[in-house]
Amino acid sequence: MDIAEEKQAGVHAFKLKGRLDSNTSLAFEQRLFESITNGTKNVIIDFKELDYISSAGLRVILKATKALKRENGKIMLCAMQDYVKEVFEIAGFDAFLPIVPTLDDARRAL
Amino acid sequence: MGQEPLTYAFSLRSDISELQTLGRRLESIGVDLKLSKRCLFELNLALDELFTNIISYGYGDGHEHRIEVTLQADERMLNVTIEDDGVAFNPVERQAPCLPHSVDDCRVGGLGIHLIRNLMDEVCYRREGQKNILTLKKKIETISSHPYETGA
Repeated sequence: MDIAEEKQAGVHAFKLKGRLDSNTSLAFEQRLFESITNGTKNVIIDFKELDYISSAGLRVILKATKALKRENGKIMLCAMQDYVKEVFEIAGFDAFLPIVPTLDDARRAL
Repeated sequence: MGQEPLTYAFSLRSDISELQTLGRRLESIGVDLKLSKRCLFELNLALDELFTNIISYGYGDGHEHRIEVTLQADERMLNVTIEDDGVAFNPVERQAPCLPHSVDDCRVGGLGIHLIRNLMDEVCYRREGQKNILTLKKKIETISSHPYETGA
């Protein structure tokens, strides 16, 4: 998996590419938490080029969401393939995670 | 009609890096059977969750084990069998987790099995001797049977 990062106006966007599974979730978790530890309050995760996610990936997102909530921060998820979005729905994560169609939508919401 | 079902069989070492092998194997089977992206994704996700469970909880001896995967496909259904020689574990009898209403009451335990049960049309478990045998059924969805997918 490739992770591209972009910081702009106090928002840290992570653009994921490839597969987020038990093999790759730890590297992503480290990058995310490095940012949160350094004071990032607003995080966007861009799924546009992510082809695959498993429960290991969901766990990282959940952990980050909890950590950001403790810091009064926010997380937005965007640009998911429909079958990736379905995984969030089956897990019930769409009840508390904002999922929007595009990166621009996510930026506007923060 | 009455075509012989196609059979694919492979085995995975009890190592998390084998998830890549699993993904590659399923990808080529997906091309062979012209599975839609969604169908291939759901199959991969279910087998990923099972495999990850087996190697996380099935073995405590530090030795390398093999997990055998067999796929059979007829015109309509995929029949998948996963065999491992880990400790007895029946994922079918686990209670479904309560779905969360907020981030605070969201727990991740049992999530993988919850996904498997929702993505597959049937999940059956049996223990034979020292082996766990799980059989999954999934309705085949091909690229051509999905009008909104170009396969690109």
